[in-house]
Amino acid sequence: MKKSVYKSAMSRVKTSDDFKEATYQKMMSDIEKTTQTTNINHKERFKMEKANKKKLTGWTVGIAACAVLSFSILTMNQNAPTGTPQPTAGIVQAPTSGKVAVNIDGVISEVSADGKSFKVGDLWVKVTADTKLGIDGPTAAEPSEELLQKEFKVGNIVSGFTSGDVSTGEVTADAIYNNIAPQNDEAANPPAKGKAAVNIDGVISEVSADGNSFKVGDLWVTVTPDTELGIGGPTAAAPSEELLQKEFKVGNFVSGFTTEDVSSGKVTATNIYNNMAPAQ
Amino acid sequence: MYNSLELNESVRQALDLYSQSMIKIAFAYLKNIADAEEVAQEVFLTYLQKRPVFENGEHEKAWLIRTTINKSKNMLKTGWFKSRNPVPEDLSYLPKEESDVLQAVLALDKKYRIPIHLHYYEGYSIQEIAAILQSKPATVGTWLARGRLLLKEKMGGLEDEEICL
Repeated sequence: MKKSVYKSAMSRVKTSDDFKEATYQKMMSDIEKTTQTTNINHKERFKMEKANKKKLTGWTVGIAACAVLSFSILTMNQNAPTGTPQPTAGIVQAPTSGKVAVNIDGVISEVSADGKSFKVGDLWVKVTADTKLGIDGPTAAEPSEELLQKEFKVGNIVSGFTSGDVSTGEVTADAIYNNIAPQNDEAANPPAKGKAAVNIDGVISEVSADGNSFKVGDLWVTVTPDTELGIGGPTAAAPSEELLQKEFKVGNFVSGFTTEDVSSGKVTATNIYNNMAPAQ
Repeated sequence: MYNSLELNESVRQALDLYSQSMIKIAFAYLKNIADAEEVAQEVFLTYLQKRPVFENGEHEKAWLIRTTINKSKNMLKTGWFKSRNPVPEDLSYLPKEESDVLQAVLALDKKYRIPIHLHYYEGYSIQEIAAILQSKPATVGTWLARGRLLLKEKMGGLEDEEICL
């Protein structure tokens, strides 16, 4: 490589014709920007003060406008009617024509001597030969003694309807669908029996001196020889020292249940499933 | 504080005298004329803002070249410069021999490219290049020698060249 070749090549490399002019303009604008910087600081402060003044004026005008509006609304409302508007007396609704069916639904409180009438609520219902008994139709269930007893007795639940005028207090039933005897005998519905079990779940916060009782939350739990330890059942895991430690220690996680009243604050555990040392 | 009327005469003179040198050295660095001109412009703005005091014209030129190299390096480091894929500068208008030489130099690592440019284009000695690049003259001599060797392998020649020490 000869020196002249590289120099000649580099010299011939084209550059922008207006580079000097553009650079000069840029420098000029840079000078102007620098000059303006300090002036802007003064201007901004002046603008800020002006803006604050404008803001204050705006708020004052706004509040005044709100006050005027509120007063106007109150004044106008004083002339307005206070209660709920009454319906116009001139309008009379035309009476409904045709028969109205009224449901008969309830518990029989009284039965007439002949057994043909019964009282549901304040309404006496008379059952005649024209009264249709039971439910018919293609999808109706088979008639049963249970749902439609032959005799109307006090306490029975009846349902049906009448097209008679219920305001008279006595109607003839058009249909009686059901006449069900109440299920109030203990044999049918025996009362729930048994003890309520309450879970014992938590971290031991205190252990008694003998080591047979521990505190979980606010409850003292005593473990007796009757307390069943571990999880029984065909699918239960094999008992392990890890899940059910022999000693109850503070910080251990215990789970189980008791059938005693926890409100006393002290119970005997019926079962303790786990007594696990905290993870290290 | 100074206004447009007080634009330093020395800056204007520098723009007239050294702008081409600065653009060319930035071009040798960035391989793109548009980027090179941008860097040169930034250097003049820095000159205007800092208004450094120089002992003489050579000192001033050396400062401008040094600043141009620094700003070119900075531009090379920027993310957008790295991420883009610019079209190579069209040098087809140059005579073939010149174009080949220029392409060969631009293909060198910048470590060799810049000393070669400063030596062959600006005519600086190794010591002067060392001062500009803030390196030892021996190191600059090695860069020049290796650069020339690489160019020789590529194009042949260089045996008749002498480096002024």
